[in-house]
Parts: sequence; C-alpha cells; structure tokens
Amino acid sequence: MSTKHSSRKAISKTMSVVVGVIILIAVVAGVLIYMSSRAPPTTTPTTPTTTPTTTKPTIEKVKIGIIEPLTGSYAVFGQEAVDAARLIADIINNELGGVSSLGGAKLELYVEDAGTSPDSAALATERLVSNYRPHVILGAYISRLTAAVAEVTEREKIPLVMDALVDWLTEKGWNYVFRIAPRASTHGKSAVDFVLQMAQKTNMPIRTVLILHEDSIFGTTVANGIRSELIAKGIIPNETITYAYTITDFGPIISRIRDLNPDVIFSVPYFSDGILFAKALQASGIKVKFVAGAGGCGYTDPDSIREAGTAVEYFTNTYSYNPARQTEWNKRVVQAFQQKYGKLPTEAAGIIFYSLMFVYEGLEKAGRMFPQDPLNPDNLRAAFLSLDLNDNNSKAAQLYPTGKIKLAANGENLYGGTAILQVIGGQPKVIWPEAEAGVTPVFPRP
Amino acid sequence: MIPSLNLILQSILDGVFLGFLYSLMALGLSLVFGVMGIINFAHGDFIMLGSYLVWILANNMRSDPSLTSIVTVPLFFVIGAAVYTAVIRPVLGKEPLIQIAVTVGVGYVLQNLALMMFRAEPRAVQTTYLNFYVGLSVVSVHVAKLVSAFLSLLIILGVHYLLTKTWVGLAIRATAYDREIASLMGINVGKIFLLVFGLGIALTGLASSLWMTFGKADPYLGSSFGLLTWVIIALGGLGGVSGLLASSIIVGVIQSLTMTLISPTVSLAIPYIAFIIVLWFRPQGLFGKG
Repeated sequence: MSTKHSSRKAISKTMSVVVGVIILIAVVAGVLIYMSSRAPPTTTPTTPTTTPTTTKPTIEKVKIGIIEPLTGSYAVFGQEAVDAARLIADIINNELGGVSSLGGAKLELYVEDAGTSPDSAALATERLVSNYRPHVILGAYISRLTAAVAEVTEREKIPLVMDALVDWLTEKGWNYVFRIAPRASTHGKSAVDFVLQMAQKTNMPIRTVLILHEDSIFGTTVANGIRSELIAKGIIPNETITYAYTITDFGPIISRIRDLNPDVIFSVPYFSDGILFAKALQASGIKVKFVAGAGGCGYTDPDSIREAGTAVEYFTNTYSYNPARQTEWNKRVVQAFQQKYGKLPTEAAGIIFYSLMFVYEGLEKAGRMFPQDPLNPDNLRAAFLSLDLNDNNSKAAQLYPTGKIKLAANGENLYGGTAILQVIGGQPKVIWPEAEAGVTPVFPRP
Repeated sequence: MIPSLNLILQSILDGVFLGFLYSLMALGLSLVFGVMGIINFAHGDFIMLGSYLVWILANNMRSDPSLTSIVTVPLFFVIGAAVYTAVIRPVLGKEPLIQIAVTVGVGYVLQNLALMMFRAEPRAVQTTYLNFYVGLSVVSVHVAKLVSAFLSLLIILGVHYLLTKTWVGLAIRATAYDREIASLMGINVGKIFLLVFGLGIALTGLASSLWMTFGKADPYLGSSFGLLTWVIIALGGLGGVSGLLASSIIVGVIQSLTMTLISPTVSLAIPYIAFIIVLWFRPQGLFGKG
C-alpha cells in the first residue's frame, strides 16, 4: 500500500513538472508571437529642420482598421464586409493610384474580428489600436458591437466610419463617429412608404397590419421607424410581435398570425430567423397579402434566397445599397465583386463600398486642406464634414442609393436613403424608388 | 390582443408535438448520463452537426429530411463509438471537472468545424414534403411536427423496450445500477458504455433528421438545444422514459404558450423559471426517486 502511495505521489510530482514545463513553453511562445506581431514603430512624418517653408510629410500608407464580426452568428455579414473592403482598397491602390494628395499613399487594411459580444468587439478595437494605431476604422455592422468599438475609438480619437444602422450611435455626442449608410429608422420609414405607395397604386386596402421583429436594439429601432411612419400616415399597427434572434420555432407566432389575419406584415429579421419565418409562413398556407422586410438583413439576399427557396418569393427588404444603380462606378464595382466572389453584393458589402470610398475622398480632401498634418483626427473630421458629394463629383456618391453624401455635425449623412429589393423569380430585383429596367414590382403577392 | 380559445389550443398542440421531439433529443443525453455518469456538454452540438449532415444529404438526394435518418442514425452511432473510444473512455473515473472540460471541448470543436465548413450561414432544406399544415375544425396540424412527434414516441418506446425486455437492456440497467458488481457478474462494462454512448449519439442523428423537416441548421444550434435537454432531464429526474416524456411535453407546452400569451422573447426564460421552481420543491425532479 505504501508502495502504491509513493508511486501515486511520484506520478503526481512528475505530472506537475510536465504541466509546469508545458505552461512555461506556452507562455514563452505566446510572448514571442506577440512581440513578432507588433508593427514596427510608425515612421513619423519628417519635418524640415532648416528652412521654415512648408514641406509636406511623407506618408507611405494610410492604415485603415476593419472591425467586423468574423465568427459567430453574424459572421456572414462580417465576411462580406471584409471582402468588400479588400476590393475597394485594391481599386483605390491599383486603379486610382492611392491617395494623390498624400503623395500616392496606399490604403493598408488591418482586419480584426469583433466577435459576438460588446466585450469582444471592444477588445478587438483595443488590440487594433495598440498594435497598429490605424488612422481610420470601419465597422462593426452589429449596432451593439459598434457602440463598444466607438467607446474605444472616441477615447483614442480615431475616426470611426460605422456600418451599423441604429439611430442613437450618432446621437451620443461623439466627435469621431461618421455614418454614410441610412440609419435604422429610415429603413423602417422606407418600407412603409413603399407599401403605402404600392397599395394606393393597386387600390389594395390595408386594414390590419402586423409588425414582427427580432428583439435586439437593431430590430427594435427599425420597428420603431415602421410604427412612427405608419402612425404618421394614419395607420395604427394591430399588433407587434418580438422574438429572440435565436428563435428555433415560429409555430406559436404563425398561430397568432393566423388568428390576426393581417393584410401586411412588416418584418425585421436578422438572417436565419428570416429563413425560418418565411418557411413557416409558407408551410402554414396563410395568405398574407404582402410581407415587407426592413433593415437590410434577410429575405432578399442571395444566401437567404438559396436557403428559403420559394418561401421568400415576392418578399421585399430595404437595403442601404442599390446594386442595380446605373452609375459608372456602381456598375464597375458590382461587376468586380461578382467576378471575384461569385455573388451579388448586398447590404454588408454595399455599405463598405461607399463608406471606404468616402474615406478615400475624405483623405484626398484632408491632404489638400491640411498638407502639414492631414491624418490628424480633427483635420480628418473637418475634411469629412466639408465634403458635399454627388454623382458628378464623387465615386462614393455614385455608389450610394440617393447619389448624395453630406455629413451633419453629428456625423450622420443628411441624404440617407434606401433601395428596396424584391425576390422575383428567385432573383433579387431592385424595385424602389425606381425599378430596374424590365422589372415590375409584384404587389400584392399573388 | 386577447388570445382566442383556438389560439390557445393550437399553442398547446404545437407544444405537445415539439415536446415529443425534445424528448427524443434528450433521450440520448439521459442514457449517457444515467448509465455512464458522464455529463455530455457536446450533446446539443451533435444535433447541430447532424442537422448540417441532413442538409447535405437531403439536398443532394432531393428527399425529405426524415428519410436521411437511414444514413444519419448508423453513421452517428459510429461517430459516437469513435468519440467514446478516443475522448470519453480515457477520462472515465476521473474528476467530474475533467470530464466536463473534455465534453465542452468536443462541443467547441464541432462548432468551429461547422463554422469552418459552412461559415455562419444557416442552412435549410428546400425539399420538405411534410412541411405543411392540415386544417381541422379548431386547430391546424403541422404535418412535419406531427410525424416528428409520432416517430419520436415510437423510438422512445423502442428504447424503453430495449432497456426493459432484452438481455442487452438488462446489462445496461445493471451497469447503470452498479458497474463494479455488473463487471463482477460478467458484464463487459466497456462494451456497454460503447454501446450506450453510440446509441446516445445515434439518437441525435435521428433527432436532427426530424428537426430539419421544419427547422434550420446553424453553428449555434447546439447551444439552443444543449441547455434545453439538460433542463428536461433535470426536470423529469432520472425516472425512466415516462419522466422524460412528461417533462419534455411540459417544457414544449410552456414554451409554446409563453410565445403565444406573453411574448416569444421570453419563451426560453419561462421554462427555466418553471424548472427552478420545480426543483425548489422537488430536487429529485418531477419523476425522480427521492
């Protein structure tokens, strides 16, 4: 027994030594990897030491941070956003020759995964800032993640161009946040305006309206936009149903819809919940005259159409981007995206297209306005706010649904607007405010 | 909106159907825990993996997802046996924390495997022949859920028969009761464990096939079902198949009624609150032996 006891003790000691060595190796390896991943110190712009005349600083590259959810349930959006950023950066660097007012400085992207929680998004931002100190950051698509990112960028005085839509992100008094994309309530308003316009055109009465939305701040804000616009137009929604984005069964909700028998359902899904709802509604056989999505996620993107099939036929959704807009630069970018990634760019990609192009045009302006210190955050802010862009003077505006971009003092685009896509024949088609050539919106659903 | 009687009856019916499917999902977990004493935190993630496999098979075969169980059940038995041999057997008899860590690790591996192969995009089967409703006088019956419920009940009764009326079942029960004595009586405990773990995972393959007749697959499906199946087992107590069935149906009905009468947003919270209240008064569960 004592032998057994001593051998057990010996094994335990050996195991302790082995574990200790493994931990030590892991710590050393971690330190080495961390140190090797640190960027070399940024070359500070050289300033003249002899003559007082102005000599522009040498800027070889402009560091652009991209923080998007690349893991977790939102990764489908984040990955598309990163793909779009790489495409636009490639166009700017190779076709446009970089930022000419900064001596042809190229954009260099630094991508971080925002993860699935505000904590992970904040950590990703801290990591990006401490490792690379980017001049501008774009991100993070999901509004609550973006709020966490903005807390860091605001503290660090790094301009953040947001691709998240929730209204209050530009209402917190932050100085370094900017949003080109139309905000969430605009999406809700657009969905209502479209439905009412089409209902008037087709003489379809709307007596019963249901608002159905996922319960995050995004879904709630878009739904509030829908409700406000309905009430402003004299229609009181009969019911609002909220659900968690992770819902696995729409059965009880379908039962409520059957009971209510609405003429129109305004729906604000994220993505997988939209697929589940569309299939459940189709299976139920309930004939809702129209299902209008809002918020830019779900139903009409290629992935949703692939998974839901005929269940999403004639569904619509509002988009922050119009892939069918017939401007030179929009056609060029859409074609390039389709060639490179094999699919039509949708919400996540579209927002990055014009946001990064806006940053590029802002950098051009900053280089001309502040040649001595163009990348100073306050100078960048001033340059961004000074831009008044339209289809004739801007590539970014050509990529934007309304063709106009001008930022208010709080960073919000004064000309925010959406496009509406409808699934027709299994394909997403732009139908509003102007339909694509050869496309007629289907309203109500047959 | 004040719910009508029809709506309440519909919700109860939906909840009962869902409850049967939940019981099938929980059955494998209950077997593994009851016989081996292993807390398999990767159980929900096997359902997730199965759902993706069903998506691939059903879309390629252009068949209803339920028919893919012909492939998923034996395949998942083999996968279960392999996971038992490689991962679970080495930690049998070790500290519970080690066993938990191992099964949590397996769950993360499965999740990330799914993320790597399918990214985060949800997948739904397009060819589902059972995904429609049949209207009766006061309620509508979702055929996919009805068939899932029926098949789940059949399988549960089949497993109950196996456990109570066969020599293999007797060996399994003996091992669950006291593995040392079972071993002394000539039962190959290692083979019993292999069989039970394989069967437990095979049942997740079947549950996935039935789930995909009206559901969808995404990498985080496991977390939705994993915790729910634990609640069902704890609520029912280790009181056999009847306890499992009853607690599953209770959870399904509570969830369904909550979605209808209160809000879908809290439909997950209410079953857990009910679970806490039940355990407060009956720590051994509704049907567990005190």
